[in-house]
Amino acid sequence: MVDSLQLALTNLLTPAILFFLLGFGAGWFKSDLAVPEGAAKTLALVLMLSIGFKGGVEAARAGLSADFMRAAGLGLALSFGIPVIAFGVLRLISRLDRTTAAATAAHYGSVSIVTFVAGTEFLRVSGVPFGGYMVAVVALMETPAILSALILAGGGAPGRQGLRSELFREVALNGSVVLLIGAFLVGLLTGDAGMAKMEVFVGPVFQGVLVLFLLDMGLVAARRLSAARSLTLPLVGFALIMPLVSSALALTLALILGLAPGNAAVLAILAASASYIAVPAAMRIALPDADPGVYLTLSLAVTFPFNLVFGVPLYAAAAQAFIG
Amino acid sequence: MQLTRRKKLEIVVEAPVLRRVEAFLSEAGVRGWTVLPSLAGAGDSGEWRSGDFTPGQEKRLILALVSSEAAEKVLARLADFFADYPGVVAVSDVEVLRGEKF
Repeated sequence: MVDSLQLALTNLLTPAILFFLLGFGAGWFKSDLAVPEGAAKTLALVLMLSIGFKGGVEAARAGLSADFMRAAGLGLALSFGIPVIAFGVLRLISRLDRTTAAATAAHYGSVSIVTFVAGTEFLRVSGVPFGGYMVAVVALMETPAILSALILAGGGAPGRQGLRSELFREVALNGSVVLLIGAFLVGLLTGDAGMAKMEVFVGPVFQGVLVLFLLDMGLVAARRLSAARSLTLPLVGFALIMPLVSSALALTLALILGLAPGNAAVLAILAASASYIAVPAAMRIALPDADPGVYLTLSLAVTFPFNLVFGVPLYAAAAQAFIG
Repeated sequence: MQLTRRKKLEIVVEAPVLRRVEAFLSEAGVRGWTVLPSLAGAGDSGEWRSGDFTPGQEKRLILALVSSEAAEKVLARLADFFADYPGVVAVSDVEVLRGEKF
């Protein structure tokens, strides 16, 4: 218990988290510090490429095991299923309309790649091993939640207005997913030889990119939070409690399926995370009537910081306690 | 120097649906248009600001110089489209050079 607390505090004192907090503070007090939009998008690309590639190289070294199939299957099930739970909870405790509730639920079924990065870093520092192939699981969990939300909301806009192919493209060929899986395959194919070429880029440079990205996220989260007008107590409560529910569900199912503790921890972190890049864009096509002020603020400004600072150490400790 | 009367369409829609709306223009026989980016905005769908992680909410401005007939066709499509998706359109009377191009 004391050990976990120690680790949690060490987690806080890393440059990544501290720069996030710096950005948050700067944004909150309305500093004009800003990361240009083009730069932020480039940073996201570098992150995706590096994570995918590193995962692929690790998978090449260790091989894809039966654990991968189980983790992938569970990940897909969670991505489809968590929105249903989230939707139910939102309709029960808040006065959100059906469409916005469904759109918000989609975010919680999907994943945040940056939370995955923070989570896996924490596990590495804590000495908990997990499969490199978990990156592929991240990619798989990104988009099924969008379909669940569409069904839950009974949304007909894309069909009516001939946007079905656009939506299909968002779900099946989403840019971040393509890059993540593509980079994973490149890493898998080129293995150690490829890593020798990419070492500096996916190692030291990646750390810098991550830090800049988190600085930007902190700025944006704070600005969003201070500008938020539609946040009620039930909604904020949902954004803080839903990650706990999702991670508990993921851990329970992982235990039943007999997943290794490290992989179970990663799945718990993924289940608890909420998307704020891929899903919001898809929602403007799938459920245009949903209020982005609600789903973006909850995902980006409440759940993401919570997971980053408190959630990750908590889920990792729980995985160790119940499965490890 | 000969000036011809035409209609100017200014259409603001969100980035994810841009191609669909451009299709309205080409299907109405419009021969050319220009797409411009935007920096920030506010409206019924909420507020957004470039660089503030508002995926999907960034707007695009489509500028098109068209004939009256084409304008009517495009407006009819947009009226139907705006029943489901956010956006605005403004039509104005303008005079252009080389009117045969539009």
